[in-house]
Amino acid sequence: MHLKYESFVREPLINGDKTYAQVTEDICRPIEQKPGRLWYMGFVFSLLLLGFGVFSVFWEVYWGLGTWGINKTVGWGWDITNFVWWVGIGHAGTLISAILLLFRQGWRTGVNRAAEAMTIFAVMCAGQFPIFHMGRVWNAFYVLPLPNTRGALWPNFNSALLWDVFAISTYFTVSLLFWYSGLIPDFATVRDRAKTKLRKRLYGLASFGWTGTAKNWQRFESLSLVLAGLSTPLVLSVHTIVSFDFATSVIPGWHATIFPPYFVAGAVFSGFAMVQTLLILVRKIFRMEDYITLGHIEAMNKVIVLTGSIVGVAYLTELFTAWYSQVVYEQQAFKWRVLGPYWWSYWAMMTCNVVSPQFFWFKKLRRNVVFTFILSIVVNIGMWFERFVIIVTSLYRDYLPSSWTYYSPTWTEIGFYIGTFGLFFTCFFLFAKYFPVVAIAEIKFTLKTSGNNYKKKMEHLDEKSAEEFIHIAEHAH
Amino acid sequence: MSQKQYWKGLEQLEQTPEHQQIVENEFQQDLPAMDLSDKLLNATTPRRDFLKFLGFSTLAATVAASCEMPVRKAIPYAIRPDAELLTPGVANYYASTFVDNGDYCSVLVKTRDGRPIMIEGNHSSSVTRGGTSARVVAATLSLYDKTRLRQPYDKKAGKSVDTFEKIDTPITQALAAANGEIYLVTGTIISPTTKEVINRFLSRYPNARHIQYDPVSYSGMLLANEASYGKKAMPSYHFDEAETIFSLGADFLGTWLSPVEFSSGYIKNRKINARDGKSVRMNKHYQVEAVMSMTGANADERATCKPSEFGNVAAALYAAVTSGTAPAFKSKKLNDLVTSAARDLKKGKGLVVCGSNDVNIQIIVNAINNAIGANGTTINWANTANYKQGVDSDMVRFVDALDAGQVGAVLFHNVNPAYDYFDSEKFRKALPKAGLSVSFNDRMDETTQLCAYAVPDHHWLESWGDAEPKAGYYSFIQPTIAPLFKTRAFQDSLLKWSGAEETYHELFNKYWISKLGGQSNFDKALQDGVVEPETVSFAGASFSGDVNAAIAKVSAAPSGDGKYELVVYETVAIGYGGAWSNNPWLQEMPDPITKATWDNYVCMSPKTAKEHFNAELTGINQVDTRKKVLKVTVNKKSVELPVVVVPGFHNDVIGIAAGYGRDAQVGRASVNGKNAYPLVTFNGQTFNYANPVSIEQTGALYQVAITQTHHSYEARPIIKEYTLKEFQENPRHLIEERKKELAHYTHLHWEGHHEEDPNADFDEKAFEKNGTLYPVHEKPGIHWGMSIDLNACTGCGACVVACQAENNVSVVGKHEVLKAQEMSWIRIDRYFSGNPDDPDSIQAVFQPVMCMHCDNAPCENVCPVSATNHSSEGLNQMAYNRCIGTKYCANNCPYKVRRFNWMDFNGADSFADNLYEDGLRDDINDDLTRMVLNPDVTVRSRGVMEKCSFCVQRLQEGKLAAKKEGIPLEDRHVSTACQRACAGDCITFGNVNDKESAIYKVRYEDNKERVFYMLESLHVLPNVSYLSKIRNTNEIVAGTENDQLYHQHI
Repeated sequence: MHLKYESFVREPLINGDKTYAQVTEDICRPIEQKPGRLWYMGFVFSLLLLGFGVFSVFWEVYWGLGTWGINKTVGWGWDITNFVWWVGIGHAGTLISAILLLFRQGWRTGVNRAAEAMTIFAVMCAGQFPIFHMGRVWNAFYVLPLPNTRGALWPNFNSALLWDVFAISTYFTVSLLFWYSGLIPDFATVRDRAKTKLRKRLYGLASFGWTGTAKNWQRFESLSLVLAGLSTPLVLSVHTIVSFDFATSVIPGWHATIFPPYFVAGAVFSGFAMVQTLLILVRKIFRMEDYITLGHIEAMNKVIVLTGSIVGVAYLTELFTAWYSQVVYEQQAFKWRVLGPYWWSYWAMMTCNVVSPQFFWFKKLRRNVVFTFILSIVVNIGMWFERFVIIVTSLYRDYLPSSWTYYSPTWTEIGFYIGTFGLFFTCFFLFAKYFPVVAIAEIKFTLKTSGNNYKKKMEHLDEKSAEEFIHIAEHAH
Repeated sequence: MSQKQYWKGLEQLEQTPEHQQIVENEFQQDLPAMDLSDKLLNATTPRRDFLKFLGFSTLAATVAASCEMPVRKAIPYAIRPDAELLTPGVANYYASTFVDNGDYCSVLVKTRDGRPIMIEGNHSSSVTRGGTSARVVAATLSLYDKTRLRQPYDKKAGKSVDTFEKIDTPITQALAAANGEIYLVTGTIISPTTKEVINRFLSRYPNARHIQYDPVSYSGMLLANEASYGKKAMPSYHFDEAETIFSLGADFLGTWLSPVEFSSGYIKNRKINARDGKSVRMNKHYQVEAVMSMTGANADERATCKPSEFGNVAAALYAAVTSGTAPAFKSKKLNDLVTSAARDLKKGKGLVVCGSNDVNIQIIVNAINNAIGANGTTINWANTANYKQGVDSDMVRFVDALDAGQVGAVLFHNVNPAYDYFDSEKFRKALPKAGLSVSFNDRMDETTQLCAYAVPDHHWLESWGDAEPKAGYYSFIQPTIAPLFKTRAFQDSLLKWSGAEETYHELFNKYWISKLGGQSNFDKALQDGVVEPETVSFAGASFSGDVNAAIAKVSAAPSGDGKYELVVYETVAIGYGGAWSNNPWLQEMPDPITKATWDNYVCMSPKTAKEHFNAELTGINQVDTRKKVLKVTVNKKSVELPVVVVPGFHNDVIGIAAGYGRDAQVGRASVNGKNAYPLVTFNGQTFNYANPVSIEQTGALYQVAITQTHHSYEARPIIKEYTLKEFQENPRHLIEERKKELAHYTHLHWEGHHEEDPNADFDEKAFEKNGTLYPVHEKPGIHWGMSIDLNACTGCGACVVACQAENNVSVVGKHEVLKAQEMSWIRIDRYFSGNPDDPDSIQAVFQPVMCMHCDNAPCENVCPVSATNHSSEGLNQMAYNRCIGTKYCANNCPYKVRRFNWMDFNGADSFADNLYEDGLRDDINDDLTRMVLNPDVTVRSRGVMEKCSFCVQRLQEGKLAAKKEGIPLEDRHVSTACQRACAGDCITFGNVNDKESAIYKVRYEDNKERVFYMLESLHVLPNVSYLSKIRNTNEIVAGTENDQLYHQHI
């Protein structure tokens, strides 16, 4: 019996026999190469989607919201569904970078860059919906508490929708700062390797004159910590506040105290699913398998099964509460949600969100890339349906049966949604081409402790006697 | 001590007067911008002026270059007209009379700056008692109808004629040379002076004949009355005197004869004063019918039978009334109903009315009325009614004569046989055989298109005229606007062609001045609108009809060979058709029963639809707007129409509304649906509106825009109904329910045990305070409130149209209604309860719903920009300019009364050229039609939310009036448009803080036992209360085990 230098469950976070130079080389390669055909095809396709979205939105703004399918009873449809969905997706990034940073989870370094980028792009997409769902979007600035000439006219600080404005814009700002500050040393790396003048110039500008001095690093570290500290409550607050849009209302199915934790769990759930989708693609396309390892994928799958189960419990709690309330409106709202004309959306949600993640109890499936990829998409479909169910199937049959209606989207609404995919992927393709998709500096921190080669170097320790082991281990670093 | 002076210039040194003036008045010059002369730069202070000039000119250039200058078409009143007559911005009201082919209503016309914009009921009339109907209120829109003929038209020349002389000559020549009879075909004429004019015409042309033609005919009644009483006339029906009403297929609240008059009378005895406690009384209304009419929906007891059984039902009722024989129909409900109706009718003050156009059935009905002593108590023969005078066989004979080429000339006034005659094909073929054909109709309708000349008549809002709805009751029409187009009064045309020098106006004046005894009496009559006998004297009539022969004929009549029978009926909105078919307000007004808009359709019962035609009450998957199309054939004539399933229809009966499927030239709004008149038949004596029919499925689908798709109120406490007996036994039932439901929030348990006084009313104040964590505000001054009596609402929709007219509510068009994007501020929710398979079990209830103006409004706190907020008078108000259209308020409204401007429906948007057009409703945005807009109400632009404002513009006006009088506001100062429109005074409105106000009395004194608030438990504190519905019947079906609509959630 020998002592183990490290538990066998601690698998390496970086595979392959990597040196610092190799890490830099691997991650900077896609930036310095000409992009492949796949990249071009994807980028052009994204631009087309974006164009269609812009046209759909133009059509809606010019002719009016009557081009959408929403109506006197269902005032929010795909618009706010998509808003909440995108905001939810935007959750994983900050969670990974902030909370996992505070918890010193080394595995985050492989995925945080892309996850943060995803967050920012997702929040950008999300922001489009509350803006363009306004009947008079050209007056959207009324929601800002600007000093104005209209008398003492301020926005209504009682309105949850106004809280959204602040929550989302704060979240976006902090996420953007966090992401960008992490990028600075990496931009400097790219700058230093740049071969053309223009490149040097642009990356030089982007890196804010980073020189890599000890002082630079010290400040970088403090800033990261401060921003992590700032974003941590935001991760919880953003979706809490989004859930207030519904929870503070009087509509059965919306008016529920369970909403904040339920929404946050759901957001993390969908956020991680989206990170999976993207990273599995990135590691494949940019050959990043060594940095985004099966271990990373498995770790995120664990988060997915946890949060998926939380939302499952929330769904059941909602049903229980409705029954327990003995309020006819509440009970019927859930009855119509589960068994009404929109039954398919409820059961789609249940299947995708509650049943499907349970497969991740099996280690084999957690570490199966193809299965994970498929499931990540299933989860995101399910989470879209969750928002649809909450918004539309609460509104469509509320208090007065005379007003009950149905709702189906029109091409403009669908086009708007497609357009945000265009926006998201256009940004993501540009990011993947011009930005280091894995945090070079940060992953180097973990290379010496969690890199495969370093771990291998420590293997011989396991053969030693206890005294020798302790002696060497104490002086190992 | 003098200081040393330093002068600034020679001027100061010399101290010239000019200089002193300059010093005194530093800014003595006007803004240089006003003076653009060459001296500008040479002025005394060139630097400042230069900058001002530069600034001004840059700004002016920017403004001029960047803004499109609006073209202003308004002409200012440079010289103010006579202040008595017209003050710009102040409305004038003129008493006038709505007459449309015998439909009668005494009205007040509101004009603003010389244009009529709103029609309200005239309380001076004892006939219509200030009530209106949807069509009466919608008449202003028809006045501004773009498709009205703008000048006479000569078909042969194929063009419009610019002067009347040019067509008077050929027409007079043709009349003089007419080879054969001259026919003047009009609708029912109830105007004494017009009859005078017609008589002059008839005496000028001895070969002329006048016939009256009613597309929806009552000649069965006229002939029956002739046979029974020797008078080819109609009596006055006094529903207000009746304690028991039996209606055999007569929709007397919606479309039958004089619905406004009958509704107001009927409701008088259905309004309950809960203060009377156990002794409250109301009339009892029995209805036997084939279709589900609005009247049937209001009945206390209702049973169905096929139209072919009407005779047997009448005979059975006659037998039950006279000899006590029990009826022996297959339907137990029908038997019970006839038996108990007979029992009640015999108690006296009974009234039996029948909607059938069959002479024999009407004779039996007359016999019943005679037997129960209705003549002279509820039926008055002293003042016979003139509403309908057309005799069907006259019309048939005329068409035969036309076809035989015996007609030399024919003149049509306000009739359209090419569309609404049962054999219009024959008529169309025959009309060209007439030597001369002239139409006075207001538009190029189906008949006018075939006529040689169109000589359009004025709209009634542009004319002088009179009406005699009942003998001795006179009513006057005065113009409220100069004729919009080159039209001429029909009477003037006739006078001209009769060779008279006199104009109709002269004749009219002379006639009435002599009749009323002087100019001042006439002026007063015009001002009041009506001249009526001071007291109503009742007279009976001696019945001399042969009832046995009638019964024999009725029972011998073939009962129809097919399984199904089709009823062609009038809708409350569109009526018989006419100009109404092109009225977008009426087209978009949901039908009281089906809640469908913009179309006609085949109505049938849920059971029949499901078992035989594969159609569901709830539609495909409860939500699909597409309906299955059926082919309906009567007498080898077919139409294809979608099925709309309606609970309460007899299982073997289908119904199709008349008045739809018009020619495109009638107007764009009128083209939807199909013409149902070809499905009417003629039985040799009268038109038959119910016929055996064969039905086939076609497999096609058609979208019908229905505003309410769920039919049961799911036993939710949003409507409270009790039987009269329940109410008499415990009038405080509802108060107890409210107390029990809200006890938890009224008396907080931690504040100690509350000893409840069982006789105390529900403590609204304690609930308001204890139901929330927030502090409660005092509400001093005016606090507006509304109460709606569910017992008095018949569901007629007059309030819906009145609201639309008053508040410039947009018409959205069929395509938008299909998407549930309609915008009406007030809607009438119609709920059914009972078993859909058993039409006799169906009970209906109507509930008008508008913004509740909640004092704790959920819409207000969710608006991110405070665009909707609360006034100190309890109004939930909209700042349209502030609204950015998030629709959050609409989502959070538990009553779903907020309405969004989905598109630019009315040209008020800031974007150019994005006006929403759908082909059906576009005329509403014509500059002409826009004259109907109420200038006191903002026209909302695209993208803002709107909703009922309690007619805030009328409230402001009322407050000002009270202020000018120097007294606190009273009830008479304010009314809402919906309240004014209602024939049943269903709506009470006023200042709740005023203990003298009607609303206070209803809510807290007279009817407090019936008061409930919708969704009171939400603590939104609505300012609209409802009075519970009391049914004079044995059972409330809603929520019981018989309420299958509820149990199946349909």
